[in-house]
Amino acid sequence: MAALVPVVAACTEEPSAPPPPDPLAELAAKARADAALATAIATAQPALATAATEIATARTEHATALQAEVDRERPPVSSSSTRPPATPDVPADGVAALVDALTTAEKQAADLVASVPRYRAGLLGSVAAGCASLRVVLT
Amino acid sequence: MTSPTPPPSQGPSSLPDDAAQATQDALGAEHAALWVYGLVSAFLPADYGNALQEGSNAHRARRDATELLLSGAGQSPRSAEAAYVLPQEVADEPSALAVLVVVETDVTVAWRAVLERTDDKTLRAAALGGLTDAAVRATRWRRAAGQTPATPPLPGTPG
Repeated sequence: MAALVPVVAACTEEPSAPPPPDPLAELAAKARADAALATAIATAQPALATAATEIATARTEHATALQAEVDRERPPVSSSSTRPPATPDVPADGVAALVDALTTAEKQAADLVASVPRYRAGLLGSVAAGCASLRVVLT
Repeated sequence: MTSPTPPPSQGPSSLPDDAAQATQDALGAEHAALWVYGLVSAFLPADYGNALQEGSNAHRARRDATELLLSGAGQSPRSAEAAYVLPQEVADEPSALAVLVVVETDVTVAWRAVLERTDDKTLRAAALGGLTDAAVRATRWRRAAGQTPATPPLPGTPG
């Protein structure tokens, strides 16, 4: 007679749960969305073009730095993991929309500073400080 | 009372050498910033008075809090120097604004370095506050000086 099938052993080999998403991935996506918003506002509202363009440039750099850290920690399986966000609708009040976006982004980064590894704490501190400074550009 | 009791510190009761050194460096940057704010006021028109006062007050408060945090961690806080070497001569409004930008930028770099050298939540919160406040003031001074872009994308990044 053939050996008994080790049923019990099979039960212990559960597939390991996928790792939780990297919290910085969400911040990178937010930075890309903010850059797209700022770019749309810069095009549609000439009076804001200079400030909105600086915001778009800086938030793009935030997205690049954050995504690089996400990819360093967990190399992406496909190279096309970061889709560009859809072109956003241009809000009537461009200043208010950008101030809101930057305030949310600053808080997102600042809230994570306490709990992340050291290198990330430095990076997120600079992202938060950058968002706070970009609000000054709108005043 | 000749021996006031220090307020109970919420900060760390000790600090590893690298975190202590980075915090001392940040304190040194706050001392230098205070000195520069005092120096440049003579070269700036009166309409900068509020911004100068606000900056001085903020750096003084940050200096005091940092000294308290270091003392609470068993460290002897670094004293201010009698004078500091300026990155350029201050002789007029543009050079005064330029030096304010430099000294605030130095403060952002010093506090980011603290963030990268400690796991202590209280010290990280202080460092984030120091970094953000200095970055915002640096942005205001760059705007006053007409510099663009008004802020680096990632304030506090060395180099």
